[in-house]
Amino acid sequence: MDLQEFIYSAEPGTYDEMLDGEGRVRPHWEYMMRAFRGLGPAGLERRRMEAEKLLRENGVTYNAYNDPGRPWQLDPVPLLVSSEEWSQIESGLLERAELLNLILSDLYGPRELIRKKLLPLELIYGHGGFLRACDGIRLRGHHQLIVYAADLARGPDNRMWVLGDRTQAPSGAGYALENRVAMTRILPSLFRDSHVHRLALFFQSLRAGLQAIAPEQAENPRVVVLTPGPLNETFFEHAYLAAYLGYTLVQGEDLTVSDGHVWLKSLSGLEHVDVILRRVDDDYCDPLELREDSRLGVAGLVEAARRGNVAIANPLGSSILENPGMLAFLPGIAAHFLGRELRLPSAATWWCGQKLEMDYVLNNLERLVIKPTYRSPGARPVFGSLLDKASLEYWREKIKARPHAYVGQEQEGFSTVPALSSGEFAPRHAVLRSFIVSRPDGYTVMPGGLTRSATLKGDMLVSNQDGGISKDTWVLASEPEKLVSIVMKPTPEQVAVARGTVSSRVADNLFWVGRYAERAEGTIRLLRAVIGRLYYDPDSIGSEYGAATNCLLQAVMRLTGTYPGFFGEADLVPEPDAELFSVILDEGRAGSLAYTLRSLMRSGLAVRDLWSQDAWRVLEELEQHLSDAHTLAVSSDLLHEMDRMINALSAFGGLVMESMARGGGWIFLDMGRRLERGMMLFSLLKSTLTKRQGEFVEELLVEAALEASDNLIGYRQYHRNSMELPACLELLLLDERNPRSAVYQAARLEEHAASLPRHRAAGRLGIEERYALEASSALRLVDLDDLSLVDATGARQNLEQLLARMGYLFGSFSNALTSAYFRHEHSPQTISSLRTA
Amino acid sequence: MRYLITHRTEYEYSEIVSCSHNEARLLPRSSPSQICHAASIRVVPEPIDYSERADFFGNRAAYFFIGEPHKRFCVVATSEVEVIAARQMDFSNLMQWESARDCLTDSPDALQYALDSPYVERSEQLAAYAQPSFSRERPLIDAVNDLMRRIHVEFTYDPGFTTLATPLSEVMSHRRGVCQDFAHLAIGCLRSMGLAARYVSGYIETLPAPGCEKLIGADASHAWFSVHVPEHGWMDFDPTNNQVPSERHIVLAWGRDYGDVAPLKGVIFGGGEHELDVSVDVRAIVASS
Repeated sequence: MDLQEFIYSAEPGTYDEMLDGEGRVRPHWEYMMRAFRGLGPAGLERRRMEAEKLLRENGVTYNAYNDPGRPWQLDPVPLLVSSEEWSQIESGLLERAELLNLILSDLYGPRELIRKKLLPLELIYGHGGFLRACDGIRLRGHHQLIVYAADLARGPDNRMWVLGDRTQAPSGAGYALENRVAMTRILPSLFRDSHVHRLALFFQSLRAGLQAIAPEQAENPRVVVLTPGPLNETFFEHAYLAAYLGYTLVQGEDLTVSDGHVWLKSLSGLEHVDVILRRVDDDYCDPLELREDSRLGVAGLVEAARRGNVAIANPLGSSILENPGMLAFLPGIAAHFLGRELRLPSAATWWCGQKLEMDYVLNNLERLVIKPTYRSPGARPVFGSLLDKASLEYWREKIKARPHAYVGQEQEGFSTVPALSSGEFAPRHAVLRSFIVSRPDGYTVMPGGLTRSATLKGDMLVSNQDGGISKDTWVLASEPEKLVSIVMKPTPEQVAVARGTVSSRVADNLFWVGRYAERAEGTIRLLRAVIGRLYYDPDSIGSEYGAATNCLLQAVMRLTGTYPGFFGEADLVPEPDAELFSVILDEGRAGSLAYTLRSLMRSGLAVRDLWSQDAWRVLEELEQHLSDAHTLAVSSDLLHEMDRMINALSAFGGLVMESMARGGGWIFLDMGRRLERGMMLFSLLKSTLTKRQGEFVEELLVEAALEASDNLIGYRQYHRNSMELPACLELLLLDERNPRSAVYQAARLEEHAASLPRHRAAGRLGIEERYALEASSALRLVDLDDLSLVDATGARQNLEQLLARMGYLFGSFSNALTSAYFRHEHSPQTISSLRTA
Repeated sequence: MRYLITHRTEYEYSEIVSCSHNEARLLPRSSPSQICHAASIRVVPEPIDYSERADFFGNRAAYFFIGEPHKRFCVVATSEVEVIAARQMDFSNLMQWESARDCLTDSPDALQYALDSPYVERSEQLAAYAQPSFSRERPLIDAVNDLMRRIHVEFTYDPGFTTLATPLSEVMSHRRGVCQDFAHLAIGCLRSMGLAARYVSGYIETLPAPGCEKLIGADASHAWFSVHVPEHGWMDFDPTNNQVPSERHIVLAWGRDYGDVAPLKGVIFGGGEHELDVSVDVRAIVASS
C-alpha cells in the first residue's frame, strides 16, 4: 500500500513501528493508514487542531517548571500494538509487577535480599527513597505495590525493553484516559472500526484495588486523592482522576491525624479517611517523621499508617524501587523469587557503587547514559554520546566522588513512530508508559497507555518537562470487544453530593469564586457605563456633565477600592484614560479588573475538580479575553472586550446556577456572590445618589446607576424613559422580585445562613443569621419617601445611613462566616529540643 | 553504677497551640553496657494518644498527640538505668584499622553505619583530617583514640557557635562546636576512612566541684560516637571530654546521626514564638559492686 499524499520514510537502521524493513506498512497499521489517506493531510491536521481545542477547553494542562498551565499536546496518530504482541507485553508487565511487589515487601520487612546479597546494602540503605520510619508497615493483603507504571521502548533487537519503573506515585493514567476521550471525539468511526481495547476496565480495577486495601473495620471506605496542589506539574490529572473515580481531592492541610486515625476536615466536622491515593512524594508526606520542612504532608500520617488505620497507595517508602541501580540486580532476584528470567528485560545498567561496574562505566562513558540513583527535581539523564572531552572528564570525576549515586545505562536505540509534525509524517523516537494496578486477585494492566514522542528528529530524551508530545496507544483486538459496562463518568457535582463532603478549604475557595466572579461582573458593568458616557455621549461637554462624570469616577474608585484613583494629588479627572487603563488592566494593582479576574481563576483552580468541563472552559475563555485586552491601546476598544468578558461571566454564573448541585459547596459560592452584589450596590449608590444634584445630572446618575447594576431594562419596562430617583431606589433596594435588589440579596443570605451546618444551642439563631435577618428586615421596613428626603446641606441622610448600615451588616456577615467555617489555621511548625552539651 | 535520670523539657509559646504531634526518644534502651530497669514519660497537657515502639535502630520511640489548646508544654522523662562498666573497653584488641575496613562488608549491621547520612557526608576534607591518626597498620582502637584526642585538643567547645544546620565543613574550618558537632565530625572522619561509626545520644553524670552540693538539673543531655570493631562489637568514645565512656555515660539511643535520635521533636499548629527550657538531672542511687 502506498501512502500517496503522506510521504513517510523510516530512519535507516532504526526499527519503525509502522514500516517494515522494506518500507511496507505493517498489516496492523494498514486500516488506519487507509483512513488517514481518505482524510488527507489537511483533514488530519484539522483533526489535530480539533483535539488541541478540545483538550485546551477541558483544561488538560501540564505544569512545566517554567511554564505553568501548558496545554496538553496530543498527536492524532496513535501508536498501534497488535494483540499478539500486546499479550506478551502484558504478561511481562504482570510478572514484573509481582516481582517488584516481592522486593518492596522484603525491603520493608525481612530484608532477606540484602542478607542473601542479592541486593547490595549500600544500594538500598544509601538511597534517599529508603524510609526507615516506614519499616515494617504493611498493607492488608498480598500486594504492597498498588499502582505501578513502566516506561517501555523497543530496542534494536525488536524486543520491548523496560527503561525505568515508576512506583512512587506514577502519573499519566489520567492523561491516557483524556487522550482516549479526545481521540474518540475526533476520529469516532476509525476508533470504532479499529476494535481498540477499552480503558474503562483498568479504572474499575483501580477502584477495586483501593477498596481492597482499606483497613478491615471500614465498611464503606472513604478514599481521598492527596495532591500537592494546583502548582504541581500534573495537578490536572489529580483533579481529573478524583472526579472520575468519585474520590475527594484533598491537600495535606485538609487532613488531620488524631487518635492515630486520619480525618478529613469538612464543614460538618471530621470525617474518617480510610485510603489515600497518594500523589505527594513519600518523603513529603509527614513533617513529624519524614521531611521536617514539608508543607504538603500530614503530621502523624506515618503513625496512622503504622497502626493500620489508614492505607496509603503506594505505601510510603515505595520510591526505593525507582532506584535505577535496582535494574542491575533484577535478573538475580527474578531467578531467586521466580526461578526464571524476566520476560521483559530491562535496559542494561551498571551501578557504580561496585568497583568493577564503576570502572566499566568510566571506561565506556561516551556511549552510556548517566542517571542519578535518586531522582531530584531538575536532575536529568546525561547522554555520554553528546558530551565533549571536558564534560566527559567532569562526569568521571563526579561519579568517582560519589559512585553509589550513579548508574550507567546502555543507550538503547528506540524504535520510531510516525508523528504528525507541521502537517507531515515524520519518524520520532517514542516511549510507552504502561500502567498496572493491583486487584485482590492479581494485577491488571491498562490495555494501552501513554505514548510520548520526542519533539525533535533523532532525540532520544522523551519527557513531558521537555515538551514531548503525547499519543494515544491502541491495542488492537482481533475482533470487536464486547462492551464492558463502562464506569459511568460521574459529574463533579454528583461526586460532591455522593460524598457529601465539603472540606473547609473547598468552601473557602468557592466563597471567593462567588465573590470574585460577582466583583468582576460589577466592575465591568460600572466601567462600561462610565466609559460609554465619557466617550460616546455627544452632549458630554459642559459643567453639569462634569459633575456627573466626577461622581461616576468616584464610584469606580470606591467600588474597586483603587484609592485614591482619580482623586489623588494629581487630578486625573480631566484626562482619565491612563487611570482607567490601570484600573482595568494592571494585574499588580489590588482591585483592578485584571487582578480580580486573576484572583477568580486562582480560586477556581484551587477547586478545579468541582467544575464541569463547560464551567472550566468558560474560566479559560476569561483568561483569553484578559490577555486579548492587554493588546488594546484605546479605552473605548476595551468596551468590546469587556462585553465578551460579561458574556463569559454570565455563562459561568448560569452554569453554576443551573448545573451545580445545591450542596454545601454551592451555598458558599452563592453567599459569596450575594454578599459581593449587595456590597457593590451599596457603594455605587453611595457615590452617585446620596447628594442632591441638578435635575439633569441626577437623571444622568440614576440612569448610570441603573445601567451599572444591570437594572436599566427592568426599570424601563415600568417607567419608560423617565429617570426618577424614588422609582430607582425602590427597584434597586426594596423590590423583592428583583434578583439584583439589595433586599433580594439579604433574603438569600438569610436562607443560606439558616441551612449552614453548625453546632448551635437549640432555638438560637447563628450569628450570620442575625446579621442577614437584620439586613432584610431593615430593607423591608424602610419608608421609600424617607430615603429620598434631602436635608439643608443637600444630603440624603436617611439613604446614606441605610447604606452605611447595610455595608456594615453585609461585611459582618462575611467576617462571621469566615471565622466560623474557613479554617485559617496557623501553618504547622516543627520544634526540636536540639541543643545539648 | 545505678542512676535515676530526670530529663525535663518545657516550652512556653507566645500564642495558643491548637494541637501537636510529637516523637520522643527519651526512654533509654538496654544494651550490653547497660540495663534500663524502668522508664516513663509524663506530658502536660495530657496527650489523648500515646504509643511506644522500637524504631529501625532498635531505639525506644514514643509518639504522642496533644489535642487540647495550650500555651505551655512540658515533657518529663524519668528512668532508672544500671551501667555495667567492665564491658566498655578493651585496649588489648590489636586489629589493624585496615583489616577492620576491609571486612566491613561481612557485617550488614555495621555496614549501614559506614554510609553517608543526612547530617554526615563523607569527604576528602574529613579523610585528610583523620589521616594523621591512621598511620599504616595501626591498631584500630589506638587510631580512634588518637582521633578523639586530637578533636578534643584542636577544637574549641563553643555553645554559641553552631546550630543544627551548621554543616560539618564549617565546623571544620572554624574548629568550634558542641558535642553533636564533635560526634558528627568524628563519625565523618571514620566513615571517610571506610569505617563504620554511629552516633550515640545519652547523658553524662557531672560531679560537683569539691565541697559543693550538686545542683538539680545541672546535667545535660549529651552525645558521643561509637566505632565498630569487628569480632568485638561497638566501642564508645566521647570527643567532647576526651574520654572513653565507662560508668558515667548513660545511653538513650543510637543511629546514623543526630537526625535518627533527636530526643524530642514535634509539629505544632499555632504557637508563634517559643521559649525552651531543658534541664537534666543524673543522680547516682546505688553504687554497684
